[in-house]
Amino acid sequence: MTTQLAGTWTSERRFLAACRREPADATPIWYMRQAGRCLPGYRAMRERHSVLEIATTPELCAEVSLMPVAELDVDAAVMFADIMLPLRPMGVELELTLEGPVIARPIRTAADVARLRTIEPAEDVGFLLEAIRLVRRELDGRRAVVGIAGGPFTLAGYLIEGGASRDFVRTRILMHAEPATFERLLALLAEVVAGYLIAQADAGAQVLQLFDSWVGAIGPADYAASVAPHVRRIFKTVRTARPDVPTIHFAAASGALLGAMAEAGGDVIGVDHRTSLAAAWATIGPDRAIQGNLDAARLLAGWESTRAGADAVLAEAGGRPGHLFNLGHGIAGETDPGILAALVHHVRERSQR
Amino acid sequence: MNDRFLRACRREPVDATPIWFMRQAGRSLPEYRAIREQAGLIEITRDPALCAEVTLQPVRRLGVDAAILFADITTPLPGLGVGLSLVDGVGPVIERPVRDRGAVDALRPFDPVEAVGPLLEAIRLVRRASPVPLIGFAGAPFTLATYLVDGRASRDASVLKTLLRTEPATVAALLDRLVDMTVAYLAAQVEAGVQAVQLFDSWIGVLGPRDYATHVAPHMRRLFAALAPLGVPTIHFGTGAAGILPLLAECGGDVIGLDWRLGLADGWRLVPDRAVQGNLDPTLLLGPFEATAAEARAILAEAAGRPGHVFNLGHGVLPATDPDDLRRLVELVHEQSAVVAVR
Repeated sequence: MTTQLAGTWTSERRFLAACRREPADATPIWYMRQAGRCLPGYRAMRERHSVLEIATTPELCAEVSLMPVAELDVDAAVMFADIMLPLRPMGVELELTLEGPVIARPIRTAADVARLRTIEPAEDVGFLLEAIRLVRRELDGRRAVVGIAGGPFTLAGYLIEGGASRDFVRTRILMHAEPATFERLLALLAEVVAGYLIAQADAGAQVLQLFDSWVGAIGPADYAASVAPHVRRIFKTVRTARPDVPTIHFAAASGALLGAMAEAGGDVIGVDHRTSLAAAWATIGPDRAIQGNLDAARLLAGWESTRAGADAVLAEAGGRPGHLFNLGHGIAGETDPGILAALVHHVRERSQR
Repeated sequence: MNDRFLRACRREPVDATPIWFMRQAGRSLPEYRAIREQAGLIEITRDPALCAEVTLQPVRRLGVDAAILFADITTPLPGLGVGLSLVDGVGPVIERPVRDRGAVDALRPFDPVEAVGPLLEAIRLVRRASPVPLIGFAGAPFTLATYLVDGRASRDASVLKTLLRTEPATVAALLDRLVDMTVAYLAAQVEAGVQAVQLFDSWIGVLGPRDYATHVAPHMRRLFAALAPLGVPTIHFGTGAAGILPLLAECGGDVIGLDWRLGLADGWRLVPDRAVQGNLDPTLLLGPFEATAAEARAILAEAAGRPGHVFNLGHGVLPATDPDDLRRLVELVHEQSAVVAVR
């Protein structure tokens, strides 16, 4: 079922308008990790293929990326592409598991960093670029297509820790103890990520999201000194190369960093559930759009809790142009797709202008 | 008696900024590791002499301005009838997680003398020997609930958060019981001699401001109201709490603990009528001492000599930290802040 609204608004137009803070007929909505375990179609595919096979086979990747459009009626397709994908051609051996990526040999010394290579997107991630072309062709202007990449701190965090981590202690230690090594690693990652994003835009991605998911592990002084210059460089390089492509800049648990993150770049700033949307918008300033921020845990607690939380988020946004509805973080794997679909329709109806 | 810590808690002028470290009694000290070869963590908390010794070790070696009682935030839970073990690399593991109303109602009433008698005796021993004030502490009810409901440390506390939506009355009943327990536990610590208490809400950062205000704040307000008559300063520390700091402070705490993710001056601006504690990133201490020294000076500059700053790390001491660096940091903070005070 598709909710029909009066007028000529397509999801694509609604989504792009919100990224540019232009008025739209309704608040656009998509979900981080919408192409994934919450969908039965994806789980069925996973019985036959590994995550890596799906991500690196253009037809499968396109199919999974399109699933939530058909099943949930979201306004954008986001490419099914783990943020670790560009690291393999850099020379990193990794596995993708349910608990997150696992790095065979963590990067912890200057010599480890020196062994990493830059990438050539057309050769090294051609599968993703082809999948983007397939998705664009299939959607044919009806929905927006979002390309993604991991932020430099987050990628470095996985590389240094060897996998997921609560506080990224080893990463913070390296940042303080061997600042030159950390700096080289982030500079290299920034170069790779910028080229990776530009290649996705060239292949047809209409919006680009940088997930610096775990950068909330550090404070504002460290962010300003050790991370922001690299993030700024990514956004600047992308903006210079593709001035018309809107960018989204997301981090979790970033309450104290929002101002600095916005300053580093992003037309849209993604906010998690730990910060109030209104307070975050006041911090990042009126010249940015905002994305968020319903607590993903509410969807596990049933429809009433989901609806009440969504209405509170919409009330905080107050119908102001430039709000993209999303969760505060990725969908939990056990979420009921029925609730995800109901939420799309609810947000579209409640926000209709 | 060196009382600059207690004076700073009350926002009175001090001769130098007081400093202590969360988890100062622990694995970073060789003399602690020697004891741990003979006794487990739970055993130490049940042996008054050992517990007092471990509590005093950092006072002797590091020159800190306060001692903090050696215990784990889960130490009182067996007093509710909860079975738990402390597993290396995992932390506390609850035998039977508390996930429904029946399990909450089955929790036993908490009797501090019965549950933690040796710990109370350790407090008396420390007070007799310590040249600095002794801090007692407890885990805050929400953080204890994450362990009880999820069963162990969990990055998102997803089981507790789901229960919060599906059975809010069950969670409220659990938090109520934990408030009662915590009040009795801390009152017993004060009666035994602790001179300040710290509430650790280590997992509160998983909640946004609306959830905190609705589900947690009423319990924290009740807790702090019950602590007020004890007459000792209270420290309220939440990890990852940047988005809820004013709400957290509104519930109570003479001193608000700040973690390393927030600038000290920014944090203080959010809670202008309180003392603040913090907030050097503990990972700095695993690098060259110069980086630690530079950051410590920057934090002192942010505090700008204003009364009511207790220097601390933004989180606990990491086990690999060199105790000599901790001692140098104590000296540096005392020297640098004394200069500010003279000006």
